This record gives sequence, structure tokens and C-alpha cells, in this order.
Amino acid sequence: MSERSYWQRMNRKRMSRRGILRASARAGVGAAGLALVGCGDDDDDGQSVAQVQQQQQAQQQAAQQQAAQQQQTQQQQQQAMQQQQDQQAQQQAMQQQAQEQSADDRAAQQQAAQQQAMVSAKKYGGYLIEQSANVYETYDAQRTVASPVLQVLARVQSKILRFSNPDTGELVGDLAEAWETPDSTTIVLHLRDGVNWHNEGPGANHPAAAPGRALTTEDIVWNIDRQRNKLLESGEEAGNFGRSAYWGGVNTIDQGDMSVTLNLVEPDATFVQGFANEFNLINQPELVGGTEDQYTEVSADKVIGTGPNILTRWDPGEGISAVRNPEFYDLPNRPYLDGWVWVQTFQDPNAYRIAFEQKQVDSMTDPDPNTIFAIHDDRIDETYLTFQGVANTVAIFTPSNKAPWNDLRLTRAIDLATNRRQLIQQLHNGLGKVSGPVSWMQEGWAIPQEDLENYPGYRVDKEQDLEEARALWDAAGGPELGQIDWVTSELWASRAAWSATPGIIAEMFNQAFNTDQFNGITKPYLEIIPSWIAKDFDPFFSWIPNIEIPDARADMIGAFTTGAGSNYWDVSDPYIDETLIAAKQELDYETAYDMVRDVQEYVMERGQFGRSICYNYIYPWIGYNYNRVETKSDEEGWNFLAVSLQAMEHYLDLDDPSASDREAPSPVAL
Amino acid sequence: MQGYIIRRIIGAVFVVFLVGTFSFFAIRVLPGDFATASLGLDAGSANAETIAQRKADLGLDMPIGEQYANWLWDTIRLDLGTSFLTQNSVWYEIGRSLPYSIELGVLIMIVGFTVAIPVGLISAIFQDKPLDYGLRGVAILALAAPVFWTAAIASLVVLQWDLFLIDVIGQPHLWEDPGRAITWYLIPMFAGGFAGTATTMRLLRSQMLEVLRQDYVRTARAKGLRESVVIVRHALRNALLPVLTVMGVTIATIIGSQVILENMFNIPGIGNKVLTSLFARDNPVFQSVVLIIAVFTVLTNLVVDILYGVIDPRIRLS
Repeated sequence: MSERSYWQRMNRKRMSRRGILRASARAGVGAAGLALVGCGDDDDDGQSVAQVQQQQQAQQQAAQQQAAQQQQTQQQQQQAMQQQQDQQAQQQAMQQQAQEQSADDRAAQQQAAQQQAMVSAKKYGGYLIEQSANVYETYDAQRTVASPVLQVLARVQSKILRFSNPDTGELVGDLAEAWETPDSTTIVLHLRDGVNWHNEGPGANHPAAAPGRALTTEDIVWNIDRQRNKLLESGEEAGNFGRSAYWGGVNTIDQGDMSVTLNLVEPDATFVQGFANEFNLINQPELVGGTEDQYTEVSADKVIGTGPNILTRWDPGEGISAVRNPEFYDLPNRPYLDGWVWVQTFQDPNAYRIAFEQKQVDSMTDPDPNTIFAIHDDRIDETYLTFQGVANTVAIFTPSNKAPWNDLRLTRAIDLATNRRQLIQQLHNGLGKVSGPVSWMQEGWAIPQEDLENYPGYRVDKEQDLEEARALWDAAGGPELGQIDWVTSELWASRAAWSATPGIIAEMFNQAFNTDQFNGITKPYLEIIPSWIAKDFDPFFSWIPNIEIPDARADMIGAFTTGAGSNYWDVSDPYIDETLIAAKQELDYETAYDMVRDVQEYVMERGQFGRSICYNYIYPWIGYNYNRVETKSDEEGWNFLAVSLQAMEHYLDLDDPSASDREAPSPVAL
Repeated sequence: MQGYIIRRIIGAVFVVFLVGTFSFFAIRVLPGDFATASLGLDAGSANAETIAQRKADLGLDMPIGEQYANWLWDTIRLDLGTSFLTQNSVWYEIGRSLPYSIELGVLIMIVGFTVAIPVGLISAIFQDKPLDYGLRGVAILALAAPVFWTAAIASLVVLQWDLFLIDVIGQPHLWEDPGRAITWYLIPMFAGGFAGTATTMRLLRSQMLEVLRQDYVRTARAKGLRESVVIVRHALRNALLPVLTVMGVTIATIIGSQVILENMFNIPGIGNKVLTSLFARDNPVFQSVVLIIAVFTVLTNLVVDILYGVIDPRIRLS
């Protein structure tokens, strides 16, 4: 509930600037539109699908009937919601009567356009065109931590399970159509029948590939063994398997005819969710195993999968394209898109803006949200905005495992003095939300924003935090520490908008403690990461490792339990160990949520032991109305990586008026 | 003359060597490397072993002296290596980019000189008249306005009124699709051209004013020649000599000087390549592109120097 109200508050704030609420106050259509959008249909599996082949007509009719029933239900819900919203709108109208008319008209048009876009049925066909990353380090998703790689591969390859809701972690089958957990250390995967590796395309033509053959249990076992043992086909050990720690949780594997049984090292209720981690893609053993010595030479001919698309081009720095896999096993008529084309990254926002405004690309993001808002304001009738969180959590690290920071008073003073809300304003134009030890993006696990406001370091009344911080700093002899270099990663500071960050961080602490001891410096991750692992790091501000799944237990265990891999602060606390290990084994989510929240409160009272999570920022995305990405709600995108979901559900409504002057791109053909 | 040419060539080779060495060390002095840059925002998720292995794959873990010796030996053999980013040969990358830079550079020169010469001429003829003041004012404005500002404003105007397609995705060459290519190049060629116009126009105006005061111009007028003949045949031809020198310098810098415009309009030229390779820490491409720009500049200057020597023996002797 709190999340939802936050987004509503946030969007209302923006809309109010342009007088959008004023329009909804005056126009009943606007309120109806909001109501309809609010009731937006989340389950599109049964909706009508236009322009599908004739043999699917019967299915289409059934789906249309279902859609009609849904529409009827929606209308009833709509009426109820409309009454509520009309009341709200009237109140707002009374408060804001004397406002300009032109903005109202634009807003009404936007709402009408959004309403129309949301209720229309999903369409089949069309090629999406978007910007891609320029740099890809490998074509093997198992040997990277770089998300651009999986942005490509998760549309081409499959996982054992996938998220139907990436933010809450709801799972559906992918290569495994069902799974069981007969006891706390056993998981049985029942593989889907009729799954075949791609039979066409550059990858299928590679001499090492085995195109068109059926997926087997051996494929799954090979992929798991490879990662948990970190061994290449040559027998050489490779240190760059990004999820080897996760797969190391598997003790033994048993194969059945179409089932695989995993026996875990210890009870782990979080393990099943990891199957759907966007990075956990299943490679074809023949092709990936046969090209392991060229794993950094990225090209389409080294990629084969079982997923909804077949890769036809992958030329880093030039372009990427894929087309529909005609033999895709999953939901009927998926994917909706005929394919997609990705052009290389625009180095300059001017070029990106031209490309978007002239519909040469179908969507746009920009580090400067004002650019996106300006474009949206100019094209309010034909574009829409969504906001989504960024999984790269921003944190302050204090080396509380060594002197002088092992005096918890100093660590607490730093945590209290960190002005999280000010940083969000200064660095992200206010687009962000403070995060506790668990990020706000990990819904359910995180302490709600309104509760967080009462915890030390997060208080809205910052002066109270600062008073306590100064007292602790002085009591622990902070003023006698001399110059303190505070590190920001070079990667962070290399962005023009954030280049002043080292100075901002130093100034924040200097002002808080009324001193000039703090000095901002930068270092590359190449130095920072080894120093974390060696537990000999300098005070730090920047991104910390990505959150890959919404279940927060694994992250918390890694950071705070005795001897855990990411416990760089040497935290060793029996209460934390006991509670988190119990939470990891807890199958009831509500109980597990409470346990993790209890630990968060405990940790926050202790300055987070030096691992002071600050916030996760949000970035706006703009798309044309015809470009229908799968979103969480009308204005909220997925905070977690949702590539597999988009690969299935993304569609283009080329009958929408906004698509009138769009030029269709041409991917490389099969 | 032969000795002069040999001396100039040795000097040119030395300059190219220095520029190449400078670019080799410059990209390595900058923070970060391709192994880290390729991870982007996810660098914080990488373990040290992953990054170290990536560096080893790319040869970035070798001692700097060894890397330099390898680079020098490869460059002497004209082996520029392979791009870290695209995994194409660097020669292929340069061959792909060069035509775009030449197209844009030539168009900018055409606009620049087509505008500058008549405007400079008119301004000189109407010295201290309102027209002269007006044209000089425009020239100063063109000189003062940064090229990215002019280009950005022009882009917004085009987008606001949807005037024509700026094909930043298709990237057509002039010989492939002249219509789309010319609308793509239109704003950068005028923005770049106008920026260069001011210098040439003011140079031509001052030269014209000086020439118009010469005795032989007075003599030509005294002979009763028409004013147009005096200006075009007698004055302009002499006043153009320093302008031609400027043209030579402009040609020398044509392929490497359009970094901003190429990036603003997604023109995949040499300037764009410099920036992309710099951001990605794509060492082989950055070093080679800088080297190619240096070779082109040095060669052009070499030709000009030799021509000077041919024309004026005093230069040769000195």
C-alpha cells in the first residue's frame, strides 16, 4: 500500500505542475480514464490477439469472450472507482480553480490517450527499435556480471523458471513446467516436454552447435555443474562464473527421464527464486562448450537458445537484431513482436533525442530526467512515462572492522550524518527513495518508507540525527582523526552530472561535524573491489553490487552473518546469525518478512555496522503510445530486471495514431 | 631540394612517433580500463578475479614497457590490432569511419568558403557602411556562438516544426542515398561551416582592404577598367592567397576536428571514433585513430611545406 501511495504522490506532484489534476477535476472523462487505468488488466494471457493465423481463430474467439467478461467486470470496478475519484477531483478543483486552461486540455488529451492505449488488446507483429549498449564483454551469460549481456540473451535463451512479477518474485515455469520441494533441502524440477533448441539463424549454423534437438536433463545438469564447479570443458578453472556462489548451494544432482532433483547443501527457502534470476540462462553445452576459448568474441553465431527470439545479428558497437522463434514452446502466440532491432548507443543526448522525436527509436531514457519531462510535455498526446528503480544500490561504507572505525560510535556518527534525502535531491533531481539495510525495491522485505522516517539516519527532521551524530563524533575523538579521504568510484564520478560527488560527500560530513577534515577522492573499482575482499578498504560512497532477486534474505545473510562472503565488516552477532539463518529456512513469507525486518531495525540502531545503505534512485522512461512495454502499473515500471517478461509480453500497437509516421526497422533476416 | 624534402620527411616521422607515443600513454594514464568500463554500472558486482581475467585476456596485465614495445613493433608493421569493443580490425574501423568524416568535412568547407568569400568581399567593398557593420556583426556572432549551441538550437527548431528527417540511425553516405544523407548532414554542415566562416571572412576583408589600397589597383582604375574587373581580376586574386593558406590548414584538420558535431548527430566518423574509444578505453582504436589524424595532418603540412619550397627558394635555403 505504501509503495503504491508513494508512486501516486510522486506522479501527482509532477502532474500538478502541468495542471493535469486540474483537468481531471473538471473532466469526468479524465477521472474515468484514471479509474480504468487503475483497474488495468494485468492478465493478458486470455485477451484477444489481433492478426493471428486462421487456425487460431477459435482460440481467439474464446479469448475475446473472456476479454468481454473482463471488460464488464472492469466497468463495474470502474464505476465504483470513478465515484471515488470524482470526489477527489472535485476537492482538487476547488483548491485549484484559477489555473490555466491550456495545460488542462493537454492533460485531458493525455489521459484519454493513456486510457485508449491501456484498454486496447495486445497486438501481434512489428519490429521494435531501441538503443542498445555498446560494450559486451562476452556472449556467455554465466561468465559475466554485466547486465547489457543478459538484456540481449534473456530474449533468446531460457531459464529454469521465470518471474511473472519480477518485483515480488512470483514465479512461473520456464524450461521446468513444474517444481516441487518435498523437503527443505530437495528441489525436483519437472522439465517441459517439446522444448527444442533453435533450428535456424547464425547460431544454428555454427559447426559446434546442435540445432533443433530437444532439451534434455543433461543440458540442465551440465549448466549447473559447470557453474558450481567453475570448470571449463578444458578442465581449466575459471574465476568469472558470476553465480557460482549460488550454484555452490547444490550438493548433489539426480537425473530422471524428464526431471532433475537437486539436493541442497543446507535448507534454503530462497533457492527456488534464484532459478528465475535473469542471469541464470541455460546455454547449449555443445555450442558454448565448444567455443569457450573465444568467449569474449561476441557474435550472433555463438548464441543458440530455446527462448522466444532467435538472434540474427550481434555486432557490438554497430547493431543487434533478432526475430521471432517460430517454434517457441511457451504461451500461445508469444512473443508478440516479430523481432527487434537495437542500434548502438548514442554518445550524445542530442542524437538520442532526434532519434526518439522522429520515431527512429521507440523509447528513450536520459541521465537528466528534465530532458525526458520536456519531451513528454511537448508530445503529451502521443507519449507516456514510466518510472523505475535502479537496482544498483547507493551506499556509504565505513571500514568498521579496523581502527579507528571499529569504534561503533564513529560508524554510527557517519550513518547519522549521511543526509540521504539531500543526496537524492543534489544528484538525482529528487528521483529516488531512501533505502534501509534492505532496498525499498525488495517489496515486503524492506521497512516501509513511512516507518523508515523514524529510524536514526533516516529521520525527516535531520537536525535530530545531526545532533546525535556530533555528540558521538566528539565523544569518540573524531576531531583528532586528522584528514579523512572519502572514496567515490571513478565510474560514478566520470558521469558529468555526478562529477562533483566527491566534493559533495566531503562537504556533507564537514558541515555535519563542523570540521574540514573530510576530503573527497576517487578510485577505480579495480582497486576498490579487491580492497573490500581483503577487508582493508577506505571509507567509500558509490554503487554496491546489484540486487538480482527480490528476496532479500541472501543479501542480508551475505552482508551480516559471521564469516559470510560479503561481510566485509567482520560483523559477528549471535542474534543476527540466528535470526537470519532461521529466516533463510522459513517457508512462510510473512514470518520471514518479520524476521528480516527485526534484523534491519537491530542493524540500524548500530549504524548499520558501517554498511550504510543510502538509497536507490529512479529513472524515467518515455515511450510512444504504440510501444507497449509490460509495466507494473500505469506509471510504474519494473524495478528489477524484467527482460524475460518483456520478451514475452512487449507488443507494438501499430494501429495507434502515435505510430502514423513511424518507419519500421528491418532486422537481419534468418 | 632533395635534402630539404628528406629533412622535412624525417621531421614528420618524428612528429608522428611523438603523437603516437603520447596517445599510447595518455589513454593508460586515464582512470579505468576496458575490463572495468565494459562492466559499466555492474562493475560494483564484479569480483577482482573476473576483472583480472578480463585484463589478462586483453593483454592489459602486461608491464607498460612491454605493452609499449609491442605496440611500437606492431605499428611499424602497420598492424594496428583489433578493437576491444567491436572485435573488428582497427583498419576496418578506420576505413568505415573515414568516409563520413571526409563527407562532413568537405561539406563544412564548401559552406564555409561559399559564404565567407562573397561576404568578405562585400564587406570590404562597402567598408564602414551599414552593410559592412551588419555583416561583421553576423561574423562575430558566428565566431562567438559555440558550434554545439548553434547545432542544438537548429535541431530543436527542426524537431519542433518537423521540418525534415535527420537520419541518425540509417547513417547513409552521400553516394548511397543523397536525399537522406544531405538532410542528415544539413545542420552539422551549416553549424560547422558558419563557425569557420567568420575567420575566413574577416581575413579576406582585411586582405581586400589592403590590396584595394595598392598602387596597381589604383593604376587599374586609372586605366578605366570596370570596377568589377578591378575587384575580381586584380584585387581578389591577390587577397585570396592567405585565404588559400587557411584552406590548406583546414583540409589538414578535416578528419579529426568534428568530434562534437559527429557525436551530436551520430555520424560515425573519425571524431566520433575518438570519443567512443576514449570512453570505452578501447586502446587499440584510440591510439590508431589519433595516429591516423596525426599522419594526415603532418602529410598535408608536408605537402604545403614542399610546395612553399618549390615556389619560394628562400624558404628552402633557410
